[in-house]
Amino acid sequence: MGVKVNTADQPEYLIGHIQQALATDPRTGELELDVRLAGGRIFLTGAVATEERCRAVEEVVREVAPDHDVANELTVTVETEPGPEEALP
Amino acid sequence: MIRVAAVGDLHAGPDSAGSIRPRFEGIAERADALLLAGDLTRRGTAEEGRILADEMRDIGVPTVVVLGNHDHHSDEQDRVRGHLEDAGIAVLEGESTFVEVDGARLGIAGTKGFGGGFAGASASPFGEAEMKAFIGHTEMVAESLEAALRKIEAADARVALLHYAPIEATLSGERLEIYPFLGSYLLAEAIDGVGADVVFHGHAHRGTEKGATPGGIHVRNVAEHVIGHAYNVYVVGNGLDLER
Repeated sequence: MGVKVNTADQPEYLIGHIQQALATDPRTGELELDVRLAGGRIFLTGAVATEERCRAVEEVVREVAPDHDVANELTVTVETEPGPEEALP
Repeated sequence: MIRVAAVGDLHAGPDSAGSIRPRFEGIAERADALLLAGDLTRRGTAEEGRILADEMRDIGVPTVVVLGNHDHHSDEQDRVRGHLEDAGIAVLEGESTFVEVDGARLGIAGTKGFGGGFAGASASPFGEAEMKAFIGHTEMVAESLEAALRKIEAADARVALLHYAPIEATLSGERLEIYPFLGSYLLAEAIDGVGADVVFHGHAHRGTEKGATPGGIHVRNVAEHVIGHAYNVYVVGNGLDLER
């Protein structure tokens, strides 16, 4: 007999497919974002460099998981200030 | 002393034109050289390489870079490299270069590096051809790094520039499960065997800035997300008497 499930309902597979899409989709190329599923909603966290990339990530996720709500909690971070100087003995 | 500015993982894309150059304004007053620790582009296209090269052209200090995994994604890494070199940027892959700083020589040996993991939890070239190819690549780049380091042994200060991490300590914050994809102990072993003043790497965005090789060489994870600045400045060769 064995057990057969609808793989689309399994969060682990969905998150894997989203991360694959974010890495390989020409609009994104993002490998470092966090994707979590809680309460049936997909939470996106992490930092991207531009507003355009923030929108593109959400767009790709919505295409992969059209039946889920998406909470886009990405931050757009642009570092412009030099950091401290450290002497290495 | 020689002031080395370093940052990694800039991830330039088609939307980066005009946004990268401002971060390096005034760098000539703060540093003698700029090192970029890979993942210069988002998807490794020649176009992204051209955009970055235009942003980095004539920023005021000699610039030396290695490529990262993102820069290989579109299989256009040679064209990315060409655009950067056309802009006067030195690109190292198992190679070395020198930057002259007021009569002293800063030697830089660089490679992208690769994964495989760390002692006690590392992959071996055993089994399938794909597994042998994975570790074989790491072994090859580690050997090329060692050879490149030997060419700068006589420098007044020596830097190893990588994308992948040579140690675990600067990965702290990343998930343990992905450590084998973030770096390899073979890189640290190559560096410890020849010596250097400091090692810079990127790649691990959630990692930690500071660590050291088993041999006691400073390691700094300069991924932009880790240092939280446009770049950091590290001072090496404190005992040097420069002609400033």
